[in-house]
Amino acid sequence: MTVTDMALATATRGPAVVSGGTEEFQLFVRHEQGDLAAREALVRRFMPLARSLARRYDRSSEPFEDLLQVAALGLLKALDRFDSGLGHPFASFAVPTILGEMRRHFRDAGWSVHVPRGSQERALKVRDAQERLANRCGRAPTVNELAEYLELSTEEIIDALQAIQAYESLSLDAPRPGATDEVTSYGDAMGAEDERYELVELDATVSAVLGRIPQRERQILRMRFVEDLTQTEIATRVGISQMQVSRLLRRSLDQLRALTNDDKPKR
Amino acid sequence: MAEPPNVCLTLSNQPENVMLVRETLSGMADTVGVDGADLNDIRTAVTEACNNVVLHAYEGEEGPLHLEVYLRDETIEVVVRDHGTGIKPRIRTEEEEALGIGLSIIQALAPRVEFKDVSGGGTEVRMEFAAPASTMLDELLQDGFEPPQVASGELATTTGVAVAPSSLARRVLPRVMCVLAARAHFSTDRISDAELVADALVAQAPASSTGEHLTVTVHVEPRNLELRVGPLSSGSSQRLIASSSLGGVGPVIERLTDDRQVAVDGSSETLALRLLDRR
Repeated sequence: MTVTDMALATATRGPAVVSGGTEEFQLFVRHEQGDLAAREALVRRFMPLARSLARRYDRSSEPFEDLLQVAALGLLKALDRFDSGLGHPFASFAVPTILGEMRRHFRDAGWSVHVPRGSQERALKVRDAQERLANRCGRAPTVNELAEYLELSTEEIIDALQAIQAYESLSLDAPRPGATDEVTSYGDAMGAEDERYELVELDATVSAVLGRIPQRERQILRMRFVEDLTQTEIATRVGISQMQVSRLLRRSLDQLRALTNDDKPKR
Repeated sequence: MAEPPNVCLTLSNQPENVMLVRETLSGMADTVGVDGADLNDIRTAVTEACNNVVLHAYEGEEGPLHLEVYLRDETIEVVVRDHGTGIKPRIRTEEEEALGIGLSIIQALAPRVEFKDVSGGGTEVRMEFAAPASTMLDELLQDGFEPPQVASGELATTTGVAVAPSSLARRVLPRVMCVLAARAHFSTDRISDAELVADALVAQAPASSTGEHLTVTVHVEPRNLELRVGPLSSGSSQRLIASSSLGGVGPVIERLTDDRQVAVDGSSETLALRLLDRR
């Protein structure tokens, strides 16, 4: 490349490169000639870009440090492939290259293995923290209180709350911290109260519909909608987590709706 | 007649509303079967478009951010619109350089991007993503869609959402309620109750059977959420509450809310539901 070429390249590179200037361009020229010190200087100069992309890429439960490594790898690839002679700013070439590396990482290895496990672990942590805080304060915590306690963002807590609704596997059989022998199983907790419940007078159709809902869900529905207990109070009585109460309520109301619709005469 | 969006949000350009947009997209992805890696791309690109509105559109002032999602046979289009000063092409300061990276991120992740000026001022970013084969939702949407109305004086505390069909609303509305109930400092108990109310609205609102949008504006104050459902046709509010009655548990909407009011406006009405957290 001649001096004229270099001047041309600088002149045509457009406004985005103003902050970089000719020093950066010289580094690229030296790097393309195999100068390792120039390569190192370029890596240092553009690591903040790689870091910013790793931070901005929606990573769900992927640890940030892992993603940063992938972004750094993308940066090295971008440096190797970049042709400063074409006159484009490096950043506009590097952004898609680095993002491409992160996307590949998620598609090849990351997503199917790490993310579901990571978010499931976090969902369990949130569930357990909810119980500890509820025991400590005598009432259910807010999302901000959970976020502060677990040192997570409010968005991470909300994602966990949503995940708990979806995970069947975080179910009633999972051991809970502080569970005592008094409530050895779900069925034991339910039995005594349920007999009283059966005495409530209901008309035939209602009984028929309710009869198709499992016993434990019937009990929880009754506590929430007839006795007007809070979900945390129900959780304590039954010996499960509030989040499970929430999930069971949603599921059984859905079932009730479906059964009620089935029983309606078809139009 | 313009094609109605499947989801329409009207929000203020506060930073915390970007999370609401992201949760909405997750609910959409659950419904149409977008996998985790593709959802990451969509969420990342749309977040950058929203951050532009948060940081740059109104030069430090408050203004509206509109989100629209269109689910089509082979594409998912997400539109982010503001009525601000537009995206400046020149890059001089560090902050503006960050904006430049944001636009590069959008271009790298969305197969098709269009930046448009909005008449009367503002910018629209239209991003199109590939959709999985299962995107087609069975129900057809009705014409005559009206975006949710939020008065400018209420924008800071009020969020409008319209969504159709009900199979999509089922996944989107409870998530939106979860975010807003968390913002109202509700306990996890009451957050769950707010989601149960959203479930009941989706299942019982007249829109669920007619292909109309379910439109709800949510007003957030500390420990106090007000949901305004509608516009509904005359008499629908009472029917909606009554039809939420399920065998043995009574009208779910009535049991879970602290107050219910119907505001009649000519031939239409709005149902206002209040949820408090009295801990």
